[in-house]
Amino acid sequence: MNCQVCQLKELEVESFEIREVLRCILHTIVFHRALGLIRPKDIDLELFDITYVQCGEIEVEKKIDDRIEHFISWIEKHPNKKKTQLCVSFYKAKSKQPWYASKTDHRSFWERWYINLNVDVVLHPTKSPVGNSKLVMDLGDASEARSCRRKQLEQSLQQVLFQIIKFVNDKKDHVPPPINDDREIYCPFEITITSASSDSTFGKDMWKRILLNSGHPSMIS
Amino acid sequence: MDFPENLPSPDIGRLEQIVSHFFPKALHIVLDSRIPSLQSRGRTRDRSSGGLNVKKSDKWFNLIMGDRPAALDKLHSWHRNILDSMIIDIILIHPTDDDDDHGNVRSAETVIERWVVQYENPLIMSPQTSDPSTRYQKVYKKAIILLRSLYAQTRLLPAYRVSRQLSSSLASSRYEMVYKVSSFSDVFSPPVTETMKEFRFSPVEVPPGRLCASVTYRSDLSDFNLGAHITLPPRIITDYVGSPATDPMRFFPSPGQSFEATSFHFQGRAGRPPLTTSSASERPHSWTSGFHRPPTPNQSFSPDFHWSRTDGGDSHHQLSPPFSPSGSPSTPRGSYSPRINVRPGTAPVTIPSSATFNRYVSSNFSEPSRNPLPPFSPKSTRRSPSSQDSLPGIALYKSSRSGESPSGLINHYPGHKLTKDSKYDSGRFSGLLSSSGSPRFGFSRSPSRLSSDLEDPDCSCPFDFDDVDESVLQYRLKCQSLDRRKTSSSISQSLPIGRKSQDAAVGVLVQMLKTAPPLRQDSSTYMASSMSGVQREGSSVSGAESEFSMARSTSDALEELRNYKQLKDLLLSKSKSVGGATRVH
Repeated sequence: MNCQVCQLKELEVESFEIREVLRCILHTIVFHRALGLIRPKDIDLELFDITYVQCGEIEVEKKIDDRIEHFISWIEKHPNKKKTQLCVSFYKAKSKQPWYASKTDHRSFWERWYINLNVDVVLHPTKSPVGNSKLVMDLGDASEARSCRRKQLEQSLQQVLFQIIKFVNDKKDHVPPPINDDREIYCPFEITITSASSDSTFGKDMWKRILLNSGHPSMIS
Repeated sequence: MDFPENLPSPDIGRLEQIVSHFFPKALHIVLDSRIPSLQSRGRTRDRSSGGLNVKKSDKWFNLIMGDRPAALDKLHSWHRNILDSMIIDIILIHPTDDDDDHGNVRSAETVIERWVVQYENPLIMSPQTSDPSTRYQKVYKKAIILLRSLYAQTRLLPAYRVSRQLSSSLASSRYEMVYKVSSFSDVFSPPVTETMKEFRFSPVEVPPGRLCASVTYRSDLSDFNLGAHITLPPRIITDYVGSPATDPMRFFPSPGQSFEATSFHFQGRAGRPPLTTSSASERPHSWTSGFHRPPTPNQSFSPDFHWSRTDGGDSHHQLSPPFSPSGSPSTPRGSYSPRINVRPGTAPVTIPSSATFNRYVSSNFSEPSRNPLPPFSPKSTRRSPSSQDSLPGIALYKSSRSGESPSGLINHYPGHKLTKDSKYDSGRFSGLLSSSGSPRFGFSRSPSRLSSDLEDPDCSCPFDFDDVDESVLQYRLKCQSLDRRKTSSSISQSLPIGRKSQDAAVGVLVQMLKTAPPLRQDSSTYMASSMSGVQREGSSVSGAESEFSMARSTSDALEELRNYKQLKDLLLSKSKSVGGATRVH
């Protein structure tokens, strides 16, 4: 099965905006892949004038929140890495796997979404030795710059959501059909952190995939 | 519709079902997000009930929308031929700059969105090679995805925000969002097409044809000046009444006093010093708790409210005005959700009041220009869902006016006992009487006053709520009865009706001051004033009497002296004349 990949437009976010932005994007993606019987929920963002849709499944909500918190803590541990990438991968479970195969090898990924974030450092007001008036002016400029940046981010986020809708509409054939079963409301997915620089976990998975797909005699099941 | 004969009949039926159910579902999704009166009921968030309580028709495409309003069913009933297109126009009725001959503002209709759903049947059918059993699954899957994206798209377009704005507006604005469903429509004129964008959803192959959906929409709705003309739910402006930072000379009480009875607790966004008691009597404001309660000594507040979006128990439905009351009744201690932490330090004026009268008297009322009272709050309106049922046909108009009612005096929240009694119609305070005593966020006012407020686009409405206690009502009645007796017409005319009770108190005080005995005793004027003063003030009767008797004896003595003088002169003159006459004899 072909794995469709969608690279979303990069967003410049500040650290306190990550949670809202990721929640919006991740839920929008999952909503379009929750093909079981759902009750959609409209959620208004607090930082932006945007309403997105959730599929209404508590498990999905919990999973997404957990991964977002994991991502935020990872960002805090790696403050030097500005450009980060999250990957949402939808998969199907494989039936037969060798005993040495890892958990991910049981999965056949049919779609990947890459969310690109450029995490900005929080702007600090410049400290002027001249006096309070200069400091006030700098603060005013900083707040004006921040509101302008916030507006740009809102427009970019909207464009990302439009991008998701367009991708979802253009490519439908690779999506597995919904199962008429209350147990599987949404397509199973995982969320991983793939930063721009090399990551040990990422490299390990990559080598494993290469070995499995290379057709090495000992690896073939 | 003529499906090809080479398709197996069950397959034909199922495919046709997909198409025939697609149209009402799409219609439901679009109108549910645009017209508040057509919003579905029964779309709860409780997953535990699962699909047990869901109607079979609502399960189509695995998207539970809730009970479909009857109006939608009627709308769709005319769409019997699936080959007919379904065109849904979302029309914004807005005021124009032109006035008619009578000076009334004209309205115009502008199509801000057009949704088109159609089933295209090709003239030449391509041969079907796929397995019929899987074909239906694939088609159904793609139709599900298409409707998912259509649902998400409705939330992203600008008309969604406008719809939410209109539905949450508390004033009857001159804006209205209506819809029109038809199977044909006029093509947009070139100037219009320039302002509109189009998004085409990828069609879904449903043999022999395909399902198509598209939307043409205005990306920019700023031309309609919606923000200036729609009064949003009142927001609390934190800096409206000042703060220690802006007005350091002003006294701000320190924290320490909790609210009673009518208190509210808001969770603030900005941190401010908590409220305290103050020995100085301060004028309570309409946003303070206990504003209408009888004054207690050494208890006055000047809170500063901040507002934050509270979930109110349902974190997944965050409605826009920034707040919505939970509606829970207030306890005797007055706390309820949403919780508001009253912050101090924003009293506009420290007004000394007469200890013998009441704490609500303010000298500022004698100077209306310096009246520190906030502007009147706007009226609140209840959403009245449109219950008009149009006849089915090709083109149907449906309107949904947000928040309008015939009377013009409506509170948004149920259980609210409105009164139109002019005694309580003080703009800020009316419409708050409730037998439950629970706090209210609504207001009511006469239409005339409303129109004057709506004309002022800068009218900010910082104060969301008042609460009226029963004892306070009696107090106000008393004040107003005093007002009728003693206040001059000039005072009542110069100040708005809402301040009559306080003006009455002021008038009475002024009257007392006028009739009070002067500090410097003046014999010519003291008698009259002291007479009345004696009659009124029993405690000073004895003193006045002694003074009065003294004054009386002096004037009497003087008069007697004058009389004696006159008598003396008379007698002298007579004796002289008698003496002259005797001498002659």
